[in-house]
Amino acid sequence: MAGPSHSESMAPPKPGRTRTAPPQMPSSWWGEKRIRTYLLFDATGILYFLIGFQAIRLTNALAAGPAAWKAAIESLSSPLYIAFHLLCLVSVVFVAVRFFRLFPKAQPPSIGPLKPPPRPVIHGMLYVVWIGITFGLGGILAGVFF
Amino acid sequence: MRALLLKLEPVIWLLFGQGILIGTMLLTPFIAVVGLLVPLGIVDAEALSYDRAHAIATAWLFGVIPIGQLLLAALLVLPLWKGAHHVRSLLIDFGGGERDGAVGSLLYAIALIGSILGVMAVLAL
Amino acid sequence: MSEKTIVITRFDPDRDEKPRKQEYTVPCEPNWKVLDAVNFIKDEIDATVSHRWSCRMAVCGSCGMMVNGQPKLTCKTSLDDYGDHIEIEPLANFPIVRDLVVDLDGFMDKFEAVKPWIIRAKEQAADVEDLNGKGTYSQTTEQLSAFKQFSMCINCMLCYSACPVVANEPEFLGPAAIALGHRYNMDSRDEGKEERNEIFRGEGTVFSCSYANECSEVCPKNVDPAAAVNQAKFEAVIDWAKGLVLPRGGA
Repeated sequence: MAGPSHSESMAPPKPGRTRTAPPQMPSSWWGEKRIRTYLLFDATGILYFLIGFQAIRLTNALAAGPAAWKAAIESLSSPLYIAFHLLCLVSVVFVAVRFFRLFPKAQPPSIGPLKPPPRPVIHGMLYVVWIGITFGLGGILAGVFF
Repeated sequence: MRALLLKLEPVIWLLFGQGILIGTMLLTPFIAVVGLLVPLGIVDAEALSYDRAHAIATAWLFGVIPIGQLLLAALLVLPLWKGAHHVRSLLIDFGGGERDGAVGSLLYAIALIGSILGVMAVLAL
Repeated sequence: MSEKTIVITRFDPDRDEKPRKQEYTVPCEPNWKVLDAVNFIKDEIDATVSHRWSCRMAVCGSCGMMVNGQPKLTCKTSLDDYGDHIEIEPLANFPIVRDLVVDLDGFMDKFEAVKPWIIRAKEQAADVEDLNGKGTYSQTTEQLSAFKQFSMCINCMLCYSACPVVANEPEFLGPAAIALGHRYNMDSRDEGKEERNEIFRGEGTVFSCSYANECSEVCPKNVDPAAAVNQAKFEAVIDWAKGLVLPRGGA
């Protein structure tokens, strides 16, 4: 019920007096819910790569002129892109929720004379800023503002 | 390779951290509106007509800050570094500790190339 | 009293080529911890089983083992939390010396590497007049609270068994060592922050931490090493940035 870790994991600086068995990881590790969530969190990196290049493609189309831009926007209606964007949106929300939970405790106790606000306040502020930017920028893009 | 990565870690970590923080916050409205609401017709396509889109992307704040281009550059560049860092981490999780120097360098190189392409695209507007 | 099947990893370097499993049937009393069952096996059934334990009250950090795939302090883990079949293995990610005993020298090496002691540019002599005239260091409650949580570590190594980076990157300093180094960096009496941050950016780099948060999930003393490691990243970057702008004097 175990698989190997890296063979040198936690290796002593010089060999001990008796032979040791190599370090192991429990094979149930991969199935643990928390671990699966963590691996998923890392896997969203692939989607961030892809959406970044998508945004670059769109910006290039915008720089190229009205015809290129129109073609690019129309290409976004394809079912493949819709599915991809939906998946990206879900991932981005997932990343935000997990990151906002962990961010407050990664703040140092003080930066010079400044102290950060209490952790729940930081947590709340992150959500406020996120929702603000989403509706603000989203509203501008969607033609609701300006 | 790994020695080079060790030297650059602080920079990479800062870019990655902003990729998650600022990148995620900018990506949400971008994907929601440009990626879903407009293509699905829920929001009128006129909102992203060439003239309007170009105006937003090249908007100025107080006449001195090119806010449109700055935010667009952040949107194009930062997610790539989050992506690179996390894919590197994912590959290590699957037993890739040995190859980390080469794999990590490759991923960050892709992010760097993407970043340059992104900045060039923004400047071309 | 209920009978449980306890499966223990056995490994005798003189006889076994690799670790194997051995089953024992243990009559468990109510309110027993996992350690009680293992001690029963050693006392009553098979005296050749080797395991570490000491205080029985979760302060010494000796009795860490994998119980059904999760790192636990066996003196603190109730048998009632498990069914009738329990697997006990030595701590993950450590070389196995014998049965449930792992080699901790690798950890001791990383532990020493972060210089877990107060570093002063100049030691304060006992007869020197200082703030309270006794040659002692003063500290406010607020200064203490900056690092107190991280000083609670009992070196039980559960965090090393839970960390996916420890499992894959042998040079990584690991949660407990970094948390301890950070504890000293945050101590107002300490003046060795730059030295430690250089180690934090060296081979065992703190930046290898992928913020899985598993270490904090399994820590029995709520040390929250994940917070320490990620604070340490921030501090290391500040030092690195300062080093770019202000060249270090004398180094």
